[in-house]
Amino acid sequence: MKRQALVPALGLSCALVAAIALCAGPSGWRLPWPVTDVITELRAPRVVLAALVGAALAVAGVAMQSLLQNDLADPFVLGLSGGASAGAVTSLAVAPGMPPGPAAAGALGAAVLVRWLARGPYDPARLLLAGVAVGSIGASATGLVLVLAPSSRLLRASTYWLFGGLGTPAWSSLIAPAVFLFAAVAWMIARAERLDRLSLGPDVAASLGVEVPALQRTVLLLSVALTAVTVSAAGVVGFVGLIAPHAARRLIGQGHRGLIPVAALGGALVVMLADTVARTAFAPREVPVGLVAAAVGGPFFLLQLQRGLR
Amino acid sequence: MTRVLEAVGLAVGRGKTAVLSGVNLAVEAGERLALVGANGAGKSTLLRALAGLDPVLGGTIRWNGGSLPLGAERVRTLGVLFQTETPSRFSVRELVTLGLGLDGPASPPDRARVDALLERAGLTALAERSCAQLSGGEAQRALLSRALIADPRLLLLDEPTNHLDPARQATLLGWFDRLRGNTAVILATHDLALAATCDRVALLDDGRVSHLGTAVEVLTPENLTRTLGVGVRRLDDPNGGPPLFRVVSA
Repeated sequence: MKRQALVPALGLSCALVAAIALCAGPSGWRLPWPVTDVITELRAPRVVLAALVGAALAVAGVAMQSLLQNDLADPFVLGLSGGASAGAVTSLAVAPGMPPGPAAAGALGAAVLVRWLARGPYDPARLLLAGVAVGSIGASATGLVLVLAPSSRLLRASTYWLFGGLGTPAWSSLIAPAVFLFAAVAWMIARAERLDRLSLGPDVAASLGVEVPALQRTVLLLSVALTAVTVSAAGVVGFVGLIAPHAARRLIGQGHRGLIPVAALGGALVVMLADTVARTAFAPREVPVGLVAAAVGGPFFLLQLQRGLR
Repeated sequence: MTRVLEAVGLAVGRGKTAVLSGVNLAVEAGERLALVGANGAGKSTLLRALAGLDPVLGGTIRWNGGSLPLGAERVRTLGVLFQTETPSRFSVRELVTLGLGLDGPASPPDRARVDALLERAGLTALAERSCAQLSGGEAQRALLSRALIADPRLLLLDEPTNHLDPARQATLLGWFDRLRGNTAVILATHDLALAATCDRVALLDDGRVSHLGTAVEVLTPENLTRTLGVGVRRLDDPNGGPPLFRVVSA
């Protein structure tokens, strides 16, 4: 496929998947008209949230991979998933109810801690190691709370924060994340060529005229903030932030001007598709969207990888 | 005319410890200067400071009479070839285009300029290939093209003939001579024959620039024996070409 046709093609695919998602429910398939409250107040905002979460994670993944010059980096690599899980589970154990705040705070806290541990001049290896360590500490804290907590109900409630769940968001709760996502994407696309140079490493980027420390700081901040927003809305949705950037790189190449929109659309597509399956496949039970994303996206990604290797 | 680079009383090092101090260097347009010294003498450290990558511990550096600008103006001031650079997955054309320091897609004249340089560098057939799939010599040519595309007034090269066999070294240098035009060059090298082709040579020894002058003046067996700790015989070319050097004892 021609590169210029990729963005429109992905946009169309997203629209198609969104339409399918609107038709699908736990009670089976039904055309979305006449339009009922189930469509406009339950399914539609959830489909939009799925798209926002997928796009934000994919863009955060692209940013993290370029920043750390590491193909294995994902939005949670700096200990964010461990911090988010620990925050969510602890708040559920102490005060069952609404853990989005503590989850996002846990993610942000982990990122701040990692940056402090790896303080000084930017060093990807130290950042990654500190991220792995903080992530494991967070994960073990999560496990301890789950094992020692008196109520078995906690485990069920925690699942959606540990593996991702979109719930039934109100339209009004989507405005701020959407505005932030579009602003972040616009900011990054406006600096696409600087991000290209940054992905060659800090020394090369500096020799090519990039003000490296300032760009690194802002990109890290944006990536962590995007991830924290997705965590507060949907828990830890793993995998998407790793595979959507990779798939996009294979489709359109390394240049961030094309990579960012293609990755964002790809991420939105994967999470919308995964959430549709998560809502309907085991109805009336719902499964965490992160698990489905990995189960649906994994084989697709492996297939793409095999084709690339041959 | 403004000097392309002027360093006065420079002290450079990694961290707080000075590796070299009291360095005074000035490079004129089109001039070629070699930095020669043993491992650890501070060649790469000095080049990094001259490239504006590390803060200096003392003294001043002026590029075209001023400080280093950012963006496209930076790459017109200075091009850098690093000793080692991890191959990226950008295509050769994309990599060379990044050397223009643009903030936005390349304009048609910029693209034509990249194509013309790729043509002269013999990289046209490889333009769409990923840099990770290039051989050592091809990658070095692509990286040199990136350093040259903005037509910088000064080029800093760290071991440009590293990892290249003799035939490719000769090819690279010939190619490089055709491309560089009026760009001044400072190169760090262990290759004495390459250093001898430069207009001037700076010998780095004992934490300072111990000798600075023309290759004939500086690259004497006595100086090299003292600096490198080996016996060196110089074989001058009766036809006036650069001399050859032979290490005769350890």
